[in-house]
Amino acid sequence: MTFEPKIVGFLCNWCSYTGADLAGTSRIQYSPNVRVIRVMCTARIDPTFVVKALQDGADGVLICGCHPGDCHYSEGNYKLMRRYPLLKRLLTAYGIDDARVQLEWVSASEGRRFGDVVDLMTQRIRELGPSRVSAALATDAAER
Amino acid sequence: MDEHKIGVYVCHCGTNIAKMVDVEAVAETAGELPGVTVAKTYKYMCSNPGQEMIIEDIRENGLDRVVVSACSPRMHEPTFRKALQNAGTNPYFLEMANIREQCSWVHDDRSVATEKAKALMTAAVMRVAEHEPLERRSVDMCPNTLVLGGGIAGMTAALELADGDRRVFLVERNDHLGGNVARVDLTAPHLDSAADMLTDRLTRVVEHPNIEVLLDSELKGLSGFHGNFVADVTSSSALPDQNGGRQLDVGSVVVCTGYQEFDASRVTHFGYGKLPNVVTSFEFEKMLREGRIETKDGRIPQYVAIIHCVGSRSREFHAYCSRVCCMTALKYAHEVKSAIPTCYVSDVYVDMHAFGKGHEDFYRRSSEVKTLFLMYGKNESPVIRRADPKDDCEMLIDVNEKLSGETIEIPADMVILMVGMEARSDWEQVTHKVNISGDKDGWFIESHPKLDPVATTTDGIYIAGACQAPKDIPDSVAQARAAAARILAKTSSPTIEVDAVFAEVDEDRCSGCRICNELCPYSAIEFNADKARSEVISALCKACGACVAACPSGAIKARHFTDRQIFAEIEGVLA
Repeated sequence: MTFEPKIVGFLCNWCSYTGADLAGTSRIQYSPNVRVIRVMCTARIDPTFVVKALQDGADGVLICGCHPGDCHYSEGNYKLMRRYPLLKRLLTAYGIDDARVQLEWVSASEGRRFGDVVDLMTQRIRELGPSRVSAALATDAAER
Repeated sequence: MDEHKIGVYVCHCGTNIAKMVDVEAVAETAGELPGVTVAKTYKYMCSNPGQEMIIEDIRENGLDRVVVSACSPRMHEPTFRKALQNAGTNPYFLEMANIREQCSWVHDDRSVATEKAKALMTAAVMRVAEHEPLERRSVDMCPNTLVLGGGIAGMTAALELADGDRRVFLVERNDHLGGNVARVDLTAPHLDSAADMLTDRLTRVVEHPNIEVLLDSELKGLSGFHGNFVADVTSSSALPDQNGGRQLDVGSVVVCTGYQEFDASRVTHFGYGKLPNVVTSFEFEKMLREGRIETKDGRIPQYVAIIHCVGSRSREFHAYCSRVCCMTALKYAHEVKSAIPTCYVSDVYVDMHAFGKGHEDFYRRSSEVKTLFLMYGKNESPVIRRADPKDDCEMLIDVNEKLSGETIEIPADMVILMVGMEARSDWEQVTHKVNISGDKDGWFIESHPKLDPVATTTDGIYIAGACQAPKDIPDSVAQARAAAARILAKTSSPTIEVDAVFAEVDEDRCSGCRICNELCPYSAIEFNADKARSEVISALCKACGACVAACPSGAIKARHFTDRQIFAEIEGVLA
């Protein structure tokens, strides 16, 4: 069986979630592996959300926000950009490949781009294989 | 969590969801989740019977939480919140699972789509169990409106609001009102004068006691929020003692910044800028308004050719149709024929878009005035070249005529290029100033393309006219009046209700470190020196949550986006 990664997507309400909705209304087909959680702004994304997702068995976490300069709250995405490298360092310190977490900019008009971002992310995580947690969860489930 | 009674409603959305997602299976899975006491599917959950079903279940079965698995919350969250409110429960006890836009419409494997829909629904169920009752806030509503742009849309919106007894500041960058319509001679399809149409409005706008026209002026910045904006407007013609700047208190903004014409010199094979008698539609309008159709060297043209879709409907430039050019081209045929009855007019088009009221009739009448219609393929653009001195015309146009399949050479002394509309080159600056978005072509994005066409995603900011997409005068006027109507309704009471979603500080946990104070883009967090604690001014908070994620003490709560709620959602999507 091919490995189908589970990816949690955190999308900001104004640009990326709207862009994902546009992908829908435009009937753009993309990989079904990303499950989206809506936040008002990427600045709301507490690093613990990402850690929690990985801890609960996500193979990857995709964060999408407005392009720099386009934030609905003027500079929320810059706040995330400051936290993001720290988060990556934290993950590396935990022994987690930091490529499992990706940040992408998707505007409200980029439905096509959202689909491409999801496809690319899915491809990347598929290449990385299951995370240790998700592999352990799968073994547990198989044993039960 | 078990003490909750959660109702899960899975929508078929006709076949939009049901075709790709096994809605019955989703409901079945929902029924097995802890706390779920009712799980149903229905054809259209947003319909009246669908909403009634939810309301009845809340009343009869004592549901205290509701999950609707349907379309995007951006679409129907307000609808279902209202249903909960009507049922007498707190509207924030709702959560939507987006199994249409982000599931059934974007996947083509039914079993995979169904699994994803189940995960999204489960996340919503787990999240809704953590929801807290919230009360909406009431804020002051300033009745004044700022209208940006003094074209036909801006003037119409201003008049409508002013007639409704609201004060309007009409800001125009140029030294005169009228916008692009002021550059037009007659209008299609009735051939009535644009100037006549404008004059009456102009006079009324200028004389209206409720309208203040600010010419040579620009919006520099906008702060505040719906009902309470402060607009920073500078004027280049202001008196020195006025310092050129004014702060205007407004409750709403209508953006009517219009369009600019496509630069015809970008299409090299038309020779615009090189061949003297290749002119743009706006240059031709100028000749019409001056009452002289003549070539650069002052001759009366015997052959006039009109080329459609210059910059529009092209892979290279703009993919969209500019909507007004076809009828304008027919209008030119009429105007040329009536000024120079012996003139041969050829109309070189891709498709004749005659979609509006009276447009087909106008097309029929135009074909009766002996205009030669030639159709060219979208990607086989005609080529204009200089004619030989022995020819009796100045230029020759080679057209691969689509209907006959032949290459036809047509003579021209003057060529009119029907230049399309494009977003103004500074559209991005406008979006940043008023906090709205533009699409890939630079047209401003409406809140909903069908159901909410003049509002934007920022409360209190409206769009009207061609800044939203290419459109003709009737559509611009309709949008302007629609935007004004929205504002008249919103300003009918001195206060408005705004979303109950904002941040709050837990005094007991706040250490008074003040990290959040600087972080807030709206200066909505103040430091209370007496208590040595930070406090959120809820009316100013726009709920981005930046402070929440940054607080080292975990003392700030994002209402409706709490850590617990998001953690529950994470657990749900991965369950």
